[in-house]
Amino acid sequence: MIMKKRFIVYTLATTLGAVGAISSCTNLDEEVYSEVLASSFKPTEKDIPAIIAPVYASFRGLMMGWQGYFDLQEESADAIATPARPNGWYDGGTYLRMHTHTWTPLQWQPQNTWLSAFRSITTANRVLAQIEDGVIAMESGQEALVAELRATRAFAYYLLLDNHGNVPIVTNFKDTQLPEQKTRQEVYDFVVKELLEVVDLLSDDPQATYGQLNKWGVKALLAKIYLNAGVYTGTPQWEKCIQQCDEIINSQKYTLDPNYSDVFTYTNQNSKEIIFAIPYDQIYGTGNIVHMKTLDPASRFVYKMQAGPWGGNAAVPQFIDTYDAQDGRLKDTWIMGPQKNASTGEVVIDYVKLLPSMAATESNEGYRIGKYKIKEGATGALDNDFPMLRYADVLMMKAESLLRLGRADEAAVLVTQVRQRAFRDTNPAKATVTGDDLKKGSSYNYGLQDENGNVQAGPGSGGADIQFGRMLDELGWEFAAEAHRRQDLIRFGVFSTKAWFNHSPSSPNKALFPIPAEEINKNPKLAQNPGY
Amino acid sequence: MKWKFTNRVLALSGTVVLYTILPCFHQGDAYAGVLGHREVTRQDRPVSGIVTSAEDGAPLIGVSVSVKGGTAGVMTDAEGKYQISVSNNAVLVFSYIGYTPQEVLVTNQSQLNIRLKSDRQVLDEVVVIGYGTQKKGDVTSAVAGVDREDFVQGAVRDAAQLVQGKVAGLRVTTPSGDPTATTQINLRGISSIQGSSNPLVIIDGVPGNLNTVAPEDIESVDVLKDGSAAAIYGTRATGGVILITTRKNQTDRSTVEYNAYTSVQTIARRPELLTGDDYRRLIRDEGIDYDDYGGNTDWLDEIMQTPVSHNHNLTFFGGNSATNFTGSLNYRNWEGIMKRTGQERFVARADINHAMFDEKLKANIQLINTVASSVQGGGDGYAYRQAIIRNPTDRVRTETGEWQERGGYFYLNPVARIEEFNREYTTRELRMSGSLDYSPIKDLHFKMLGSHIQWSSLYGYASTFNHSDTWLDNRNSNAGRSTGASRSNLLELTSNYAKTIGAHSFSVLGGYSWQDETNEGFNADNWNFPTDAYGWNNLGVGQAVQSGLASMDSYKDNWKLIGFFGRVTYDWNNKYLFMASVRREGSSKFGVNSKWGTFPAVSVGWRISQEGFMKTLGFVSDLKVRAGYGVTGTIANAPYISQISYNFGQTEGAFIGGRWVRGFSPVRNFNPDLRWERKGEYNVGLDFGFLKNRISGSLDFFRRDIDDLLYNFEVPSPPYLYEWITINAGTLRSQGFEALVNFVPVESKNFTWNSNLTYSTNRTELVSLANDQFETTVEYFDAGYTGEPIQDFTHRVAVGEPIGRFYVWKTVGVDANGGWLVESRTGEAIPINDATQEDRQYYGNAIPKHVLGWNNSARYKNFDLTVNIRGAFGHDILNFQRMFYENPKNPAYNMLKTAYDPVYGKRLNNDLVYVSHYIEKGDYVKIDNVTFGYTLPKDLIKVVRNARVFVSGLNLITITGYKGLDPEGVSYSGFAPGNDERDKYPTTRTFTAGLNVSF
Repeated sequence: MIMKKRFIVYTLATTLGAVGAISSCTNLDEEVYSEVLASSFKPTEKDIPAIIAPVYASFRGLMMGWQGYFDLQEESADAIATPARPNGWYDGGTYLRMHTHTWTPLQWQPQNTWLSAFRSITTANRVLAQIEDGVIAMESGQEALVAELRATRAFAYYLLLDNHGNVPIVTNFKDTQLPEQKTRQEVYDFVVKELLEVVDLLSDDPQATYGQLNKWGVKALLAKIYLNAGVYTGTPQWEKCIQQCDEIINSQKYTLDPNYSDVFTYTNQNSKEIIFAIPYDQIYGTGNIVHMKTLDPASRFVYKMQAGPWGGNAAVPQFIDTYDAQDGRLKDTWIMGPQKNASTGEVVIDYVKLLPSMAATESNEGYRIGKYKIKEGATGALDNDFPMLRYADVLMMKAESLLRLGRADEAAVLVTQVRQRAFRDTNPAKATVTGDDLKKGSSYNYGLQDENGNVQAGPGSGGADIQFGRMLDELGWEFAAEAHRRQDLIRFGVFSTKAWFNHSPSSPNKALFPIPAEEINKNPKLAQNPGY
Repeated sequence: MKWKFTNRVLALSGTVVLYTILPCFHQGDAYAGVLGHREVTRQDRPVSGIVTSAEDGAPLIGVSVSVKGGTAGVMTDAEGKYQISVSNNAVLVFSYIGYTPQEVLVTNQSQLNIRLKSDRQVLDEVVVIGYGTQKKGDVTSAVAGVDREDFVQGAVRDAAQLVQGKVAGLRVTTPSGDPTATTQINLRGISSIQGSSNPLVIIDGVPGNLNTVAPEDIESVDVLKDGSAAAIYGTRATGGVILITTRKNQTDRSTVEYNAYTSVQTIARRPELLTGDDYRRLIRDEGIDYDDYGGNTDWLDEIMQTPVSHNHNLTFFGGNSATNFTGSLNYRNWEGIMKRTGQERFVARADINHAMFDEKLKANIQLINTVASSVQGGGDGYAYRQAIIRNPTDRVRTETGEWQERGGYFYLNPVARIEEFNREYTTRELRMSGSLDYSPIKDLHFKMLGSHIQWSSLYGYASTFNHSDTWLDNRNSNAGRSTGASRSNLLELTSNYAKTIGAHSFSVLGGYSWQDETNEGFNADNWNFPTDAYGWNNLGVGQAVQSGLASMDSYKDNWKLIGFFGRVTYDWNNKYLFMASVRREGSSKFGVNSKWGTFPAVSVGWRISQEGFMKTLGFVSDLKVRAGYGVTGTIANAPYISQISYNFGQTEGAFIGGRWVRGFSPVRNFNPDLRWERKGEYNVGLDFGFLKNRISGSLDFFRRDIDDLLYNFEVPSPPYLYEWITINAGTLRSQGFEALVNFVPVESKNFTWNSNLTYSTNRTELVSLANDQFETTVEYFDAGYTGEPIQDFTHRVAVGEPIGRFYVWKTVGVDANGGWLVESRTGEAIPINDATQEDRQYYGNAIPKHVLGWNNSARYKNFDLTVNIRGAFGHDILNFQRMFYENPKNPAYNMLKTAYDPVYGKRLNNDLVYVSHYIEKGDYVKIDNVTFGYTLPKDLIKVVRNARVFVSGLNLITITGYKGLDPEGVSYSGFAPGNDERDKYPTTRTFTAGLNVSF
């Protein structure tokens, strides 16, 4: 009996021992095929474009992507709205809340901007840390690369400064502590300091750096931040804005494109006007879906599209009413009237100006965004690059600063310069504005609109009382559908005080979006912005 | 070294052990003698007798009496008498439904009276457990088994449907009527967030799935329900284990069985839509803005057909006790209820056993080859949606025979979609397994099991020039091809020793398991073809590849799983039972810091009925209490999630230095600490049998705590690279109760009725989402999605709430303009346009509180009848059909007849929204499977041993207040259960007629 047991034990032990002895029997190392293991990849200088690409890549999804920065800036303002359509677009009231400023910390659009901006910031921090550690071997050009990464990071912080204000500042990738919240003033100081420190280390060649932040892009960004410094910090910086604009103007690196539409067309990478673009491509850099969101499905036949658009947002009729009928920018910005099938000539849809209400519109109601010219055979992703900063913007920033410093006539010269191409083919005389014109109020007929398109008197109605309202109108006409409008309305004191379409005056607190609820949950060091 | 040992053990077995196993050999010799002898002498003589029931001594009628190995057979008459001619030393086999067959050696008797034992002697029944079997009476954990004779009959889809409603706690539903779809299966609730909650399926020791073998080829399905039973399978076993045993040659008689059936299907329930006449009435009477094209088309009829399916199964058994063979050929050709859908499948299986060296060494080789092919059109959930929303006054084709298309948003002719799109999907699987069982001495077995499985798939699709891909999307035919392949290997070594010494019985099991799987695949698509004649067979001709729009992709991954395991059982005097097991298992999928985990289990049982004091209680045949605790794990679905790795990708690319470059970015937040999900489960059970087991069953209570859930945890970025990281966070708790009661209401000579009831209730709650790496977290996550145009999530899973809750604006009325009024967070009724996310609330629960099954089988003379009834109660369903189609706002799409019915007294005039109005009670009772069979008299056809014809109906009658198509045609898995989706393949009612013959 004992003998037998012993044998069993021996046999068992031998079997298991044999198994144990063959090391492959316990080897659990992963064989990785379709990923690149960090341990086996040694990046060289030729990999640097690929390594820094993700810093820029998240801007693409953000700017013209689904419920991105474009929607955040436009749907909360007075030029574009996304009303419910027969085929949908109620979407749990999300567009209605954007329009009526009733968003909460759960609203996705502001969170989307937050997440995308921080994704760029984190990626920049990671690459900076890898350069610092020598993981990325570089012979030369390290200084310029570091400067560009810091500039791009500062650009992402600018988006946060403008939209969320009080955000954490993280510059050290290796610090895994939950970051501390900073005040809007601190964020402003940080962004300005970073940009000033790197600006002269950057390339000054516009062609070689298209789509990247170069010296002029940083200067234009600084001008933009100084322009809004009063909103950000309570202390305006008009002179500093003018100084940055002058440096760009004097460099003669950029000029106004001959035609307004050249700036936005599907070949706008050739523009001489764009200073900082977010490049898109229907194959290599997808994400520009502005046409998908605005066009009615029937419009696909007009452009022989390879995708069916969804039919959502449209121009607020009151904004359209501000245009001079001879302003070429009206037809260059909006798709209006009958649309014809490219093959048969048959009218497929007739876009009319009226939008009855946010709650109910017909599919052909409202003018559509046509600024980003749609290529024949377009897919769901446009080729058109998004002009984040352009030369006309520099001229107008300088003009506004001059105007606010009491130099209205100097401002008028610049505004006239911008207007000239808009009236060149219709009525060149109309291009000229005077300093006194710019001191007038706005021609925007603010007030709630009823279902027949009539504007009601009431709280927040009328535009004549807006200081430098004409300048605001000029910005509206030049930069409509370029994600400028929210910032401009805030600077001109209109954002929360006026009524338009179905929007009633809201609270001054709405000029900052809430810190997303999810972010507060993840990081208890974050406090909510006032009023939420 | 090893060989020496083997020799010594062999020698040992020849001497020391011979004595103990002598009776065995003796018997074997006797049989061998019979077999050998019969060839030589044939002196037939009559033998007669009476067959009675061992329980009550009543004569049994219709008992089959036959000579083993021969074809001759008779049946007992009304008095249980039989007479048969046999040669000397023949073996007579007495078999009867519901009784254990008995074999008797005929020496020189002329009178043989036999007492057949009812096979309700459940305690001697063997159940399959992990790496072995156990007598049911000795089981100390929660296991359940269903044998072939109790399977659901008719047009059964897969192994799960065979046991539908028959295993308490195992919920099997068929959410889709698509013949290529599988059943949905869940045991004891949700057990993982990211990993699978599906049970591990083992077929004859080798992992597979519910479709690996044809249902006709299955002998039994056993389910390891609790942790103490499943823990021997370690990390794969949290969802439970289903052990499928295929049919094996049980005797040494050659048999051929042929089973065939044909079935037709109808839609389980049709949605009632507005007709063309309704349109014209609404235009005339109410001025509704419909387009009237003058016709009256039933679009559902246009996309549906009456599918006719057939199924053939041929099984061969042959050989003798030393070498035997089981082979089966299974052919299935199933049509779907939607036009141009269906599947053709062929499964061939060969199983060869051979015993050598005095049965010390047993070898088994099994091959299973499956080829499944679906040649289909564009019939899918989207075509179904288009049939529902299409204008009923419109026509299918124009006068010139073209498809009648109209403009419109997501609005396409559904018949054209079906007819102008072609796809073919073929899968092939070859499973090769072999085992050697070496028993050097009695009670000791060494077993080696190896398997190699090759699976491949090939898919092609193409649209014609008449498809919307071309006339609408300007793609000039769109085609693609994809293929996938996987190879998996398994090696398992086990040794098992079992022994009884006096009152002590014990067994020891030890083993090693190595598993390796490689998956790879490739796909390409293209469009802009000069002709649509190529289909997917000449992909390079399309020009989308030149213009940079076509896509191409390939992948490959690999994982390994290695385990060491052991188990001991012990019982004393059949009274006190004990079992303990442990598995130490490692997976390549986990972080370097925690590749290995340990999964112990222990369970005990006390057979109270064996105690002396119970002998007085005569009505108690069996009573056992048992309790167990076991730990199992769940593996992450994807490999590599702990790796520090990067990928090049276009989406992370940008325009840098004047050209488009791909971005090089980390794949994920790195987590080298990633480890198993760990489930600890307590189970307390009671097995009982009363009145000689005329009533028997089990009760089980369980509680499972699943810790270290793999979860995409939200983290702030920065400091983290991405906004989420896969970590082990949180705890789920499920608890529940299950009951199984078998009873025999009627048992007489001509009429027997067996019945069983299963009941289960369980509730899973998210206990926490906390973890040791992060202090705070979002205490909930959202799940489910409505689809456009509503675009909203449907469920919220929150800490402290059970799984399955909807999160929704609660409707309390409709205002004067027809807009919804919902309850605000302060309890006021507010217009939905003023409601914010903060006003949403938890509502209802999609997981049934009670699930019932009642299965009956009855036999009257040669007629048999089975009726299976199932039900689920205490749950809610989100009816997408009503949410999208019971709203008159958009006359561009057709809708339900009920769309114009007043809601809260008013007609609705509101955009489509997700509100509580569409969440309904989901209670139902289904008379699911009714089968009526007739067994032909034995001597009707000489060569036929047994013949039976049957008719059967599946999903026959549903009694429910639910307004959707089928309260069971709903997904119950994952975190968004109870969403009765809009785009679906409707469930069906199936009528089957079939034939079983054996020769």
